[in-house]
Amino acid sequence: MEYIADGFIEAFKLLLSLDQEVYSIILLSIYVSLTSTLISSLVGIPLGFFLGLKKFRYKRIVTRFLYTFMSLPPVVVGLTVAVIISRRGPLGSLGLLFTPAAMIIAQTLLVTPIITGIIFNNSKEQGHVIRQVCKTLGGNRLDTLLLLIKEMRINILIAVVTGFGRGISEVGAVMIVGGNIKGHTRVMTSFIAMNHSMGNYSISIAMGIVLLAISFITNSVLYKYVAGD
Amino acid sequence: MDIKIDNLNKVYGDKSVVNIDSLSIDKGKIYGIIGPNGAGKSTLVRIIAGLEEATMGNPIYNGRSLDTKSIRDITYMSQRPYLFRTSVFNNIAYPLKIRKYDKKAIEKKVIDIMKEFKVSHLEGQLATSLSGGESQKVALARALVFEPKVLLLDEPTANIDPNSIELIEKTISRRNKEKGITVILITHNIGQAKRLCDKVIFMRKGKIDEYGDAEKVILNPKQSTTKKFLSIYSM
Repeated sequence: MEYIADGFIEAFKLLLSLDQEVYSIILLSIYVSLTSTLISSLVGIPLGFFLGLKKFRYKRIVTRFLYTFMSLPPVVVGLTVAVIISRRGPLGSLGLLFTPAAMIIAQTLLVTPIITGIIFNNSKEQGHVIRQVCKTLGGNRLDTLLLLIKEMRINILIAVVTGFGRGISEVGAVMIVGGNIKGHTRVMTSFIAMNHSMGNYSISIAMGIVLLAISFITNSVLYKYVAGD
Repeated sequence: MDIKIDNLNKVYGDKSVVNIDSLSIDKGKIYGIIGPNGAGKSTLVRIIAGLEEATMGNPIYNGRSLDTKSIRDITYMSQRPYLFRTSVFNNIAYPLKIRKYDKKAIEKKVIDIMKEFKVSHLEGQLATSLSGGESQKVALARALVFEPKVLLLDEPTANIDPNSIELIEKTISRRNKEKGITVILITHNIGQAKRLCDKVIFMRKGKIDEYGDAEKVILNPKQSTTKKFLSIYSM
């Protein structure tokens, strides 16, 4: 048990020492996850609304695929992206393998279905009602869209925060496509996994605390919005 | 004439839920639609509101099919209205804002209608935190603030307190008399139909079984189905 307590003490020392490597890892993690969440939101939010509100052929099949994609195994996504962007792959000429861009692509593929799925589920119930009320009050398509965004802002926020959470806590895919290269593609999760396997518990715990802190901050922002209800 | 319906049919799967040969809704009158559950009352009203499309035939409003312009004259309020996640004032102001009224006009109209519905004290309150009766009053105020020409109501006073019912009925009646608004009201409250309506439509299995002056249909129904329905609901 003692090594756990030592680990926590070491963790705080490490965080307070302003170690450049630690902070560059934290910043890269935030950068990769924020970028992938932003791209996923731009794709997933409109797509979720479209799937939830529109009636079209094969909607059931599309929905089933969406639910399947929501639980995609990260290593499978990582492997798929790695195969596509590897030197011999169809996008090999772009030289993306083992770069932060590759990690962003992998995380975007994991996060987009989650954001789409959450928006889809909420909009198919609440979205229809909002759309109908807007129509009965004389709103046009633009009014409806603006009202949907305004009324479902908390759902949108939940979807984005959940997506970000998925991205920043993900290890399998970023490890495969990023390669955990020191000073280049090493992020918090791959750093923790690596140090744990090397027996460096204190530094792993330190990074775990940072991950938790980021999760706490993002959730606090969410609750601030909900509390403003 | 305000609304004309000819050979209107709505089918879900292989079941016809509304099948109306002919119905004319005259301007400035209050129509009550009564009938058992599943009679197609709500579907009919939702088709008139433009919320559902008929399988065959469409309502004609002032000689023209419903389009995006004419639908702005018609408003609809359901039994459990959805209020926006904002203040009562902003809820009521919404139809005026999207019609680009200026700020002063919005303020005046909203304040006036809040007084009419006796909800002025709720002005800044979050609309989603209101009681059933308050919600209903705010939703009706929101539906009427832009002075629509046709008001469609689906059981607007179900499950609310008698004081709110009285206020809502009085307001509907006053708006009808003073502004000439046409009202179509679905109700299970026969007393309410008698108090408010000029005409009553009795629907059953998607069809109109009986139609006529409110007093005649309620006090002297011709159809046995209407008699049976009224004997149960008048008890």
